[in-house]
Amino acid sequence: MSKKLLITLILISAFFLIAFYWAALTSFKPPSEVLTYPPSFITLNPTFEQYGKLFTTADSIFLRYVGNTFMLCGLSISMVLIMSILGGYSLSKLTFRGSNIIFLVILSIIMVPYQALLIPLYDLMSKLGLLDTIFGLSLIYATYFMPFCIFMMKNYFSSLPNTLRESALIDGASEIKILFKIHLPLSLPAIATVIVYVFLMTWNDFILSLIFTSSSEVRNIQVGIMNFATSRFTQDWGLINAGAIFSIIPSILVFLLLQKYYVEGMTSGSGKG
Amino acid sequence: MKQRNRKYLISLAFLSPIIIMVSIFFVYPLIKVIIMSFQEWQVMGESRFIGFSNYVNALTDGEFWKTLWNTVIYAIIVTPMIFIPAVLLAIALRYTNKSSKFFRTIFFIPYAISFVAASYIWKWIYNDMYGILNYVLISFHMIDNPINWLGNTWLSRIMVSIMVSWKTLGFTMIIVIAGLQGIEPQIYEAASIDGAKKSQILRYVTLPLLKPTLILALILSLAGSFKAFDHFYIMTKGGPLKSTETIVMYINKVAFEYYNIGLGSAISVIFLIILLIISYLQLKAGGFNNE
Repeated sequence: MSKKLLITLILISAFFLIAFYWAALTSFKPPSEVLTYPPSFITLNPTFEQYGKLFTTADSIFLRYVGNTFMLCGLSISMVLIMSILGGYSLSKLTFRGSNIIFLVILSIIMVPYQALLIPLYDLMSKLGLLDTIFGLSLIYATYFMPFCIFMMKNYFSSLPNTLRESALIDGASEIKILFKIHLPLSLPAIATVIVYVFLMTWNDFILSLIFTSSSEVRNIQVGIMNFATSRFTQDWGLINAGAIFSIIPSILVFLLLQKYYVEGMTSGSGKG
Repeated sequence: MKQRNRKYLISLAFLSPIIIMVSIFFVYPLIKVIIMSFQEWQVMGESRFIGFSNYVNALTDGEFWKTLWNTVIYAIIVTPMIFIPAVLLAIALRYTNKSSKFFRTIFFIPYAISFVAASYIWKWIYNDMYGILNYVLISFHMIDNPINWLGNTWLSRIMVSIMVSWKTLGFTMIIVIAGLQGIEPQIYEAASIDGAKKSQILRYVTLPLLKPTLILALILSLAGSFKAFDHFYIMTKGGPLKSTETIVMYINKVAFEYYNIGLGSAISVIFLIILLIISYLQLKAGGFNNE
């Protein structure tokens, strides 16, 4: 890498990170320092006061939002994992006439944005009594985040040799055993990608939680931050930045821990051309 | 024969949770929205079919056209703002080594965070009284008075697009890097043996071979901008004067604030058709099916 390029890249990175720095700095300033002009670029009295306020105001409702979001993530990740492992195996190793049609229907979900189906989904959820429930919302997440994962698991299983299954069958192993004892241990990168992808999609969702939940006991962290930002006459920017910074920590942690698999998995379906 | 039947049954059993979920939460709503778009929908009592009235109402509704226009304008502004820096960074970081991995991670991090968090972080940067942007520009004498960045029609579209570019260009960059790494090194060798200059290789070898990847990335970002909701909902609330109200925001408003279910469904179907056309272009360009 030439020196000129390196310096350019460092400058662009600084621009990328300064937004995070500015938000984090604001969240650690004492409330009296947040709204000052000229703004200060460092703070001499860093404090967790804003975070304390974030977690204690309105009967610690923010804690509830965080708990709800983790619960939503747990539910949608488990559902998508089960469906994409079973489905991916079935569509790659146990194909039959009609497999392709099922796969095409699943893929078509990627093409049809759920933003166009909000009205009938709302009607359906209300008829099923699932409106304003964590379980109901996680069912919608699972349905719309699953297609990409099935696509990826199917591709991953397809890349494993068929002889793996055939020789195990001769030894008398059942399909369940072949899938979970032989194929699954070889597919950990793909499984990691599924987990990261569904976690990020669920944790970061805004519109689905906004529409399909209404009481604050059920809403997720993103809608929660918006509630905090809009519930007062003047916006409390210290509090908002604390909420934003807190909400991005799990996303960035999960991404950094598993980025190797995630980036590989994300591009495996799209990069070839 | 018996064994084949068994395999078929097991396969179907493995697929059954998916088939159930997809039928209830995807196929049914998809059919239902089309039916609803031809109905005058009642919360209580029978809904009745009214032909194309909802579509006529949608197509003669000024706000529908305005939000469609806003969405198209936004897509036109944001796409090059994501695309040009992403391709340049991809070319700079195409070889995998320690430092390029480090920079790739930095540029990709904003993609992992939510649009909500990103919107508030940038709304605070753009704040007209205490924002860092106005302060820096005034300090360097580039402007005299603080600017209300999100208070002006065109400016607010551009400022939201800057945030979106910051947030999503890392993803486009990664796709383009994958495309670049897919080009056989022998092709470059052959070109340089034939005496091609670096700029000529880029123009006549790299870019043509990269075309399918570029088209795919372009279409993905186009589809993404048509679905825009979160960031406009938070940064501008559709303002000023509804100039940043997107089509998804309008569907949301018609259905869940005005309770005009028929009109909302008709607009949803029109929106769906637009997105399907974009997806069709993606398939033709070789998206998910080019194994």
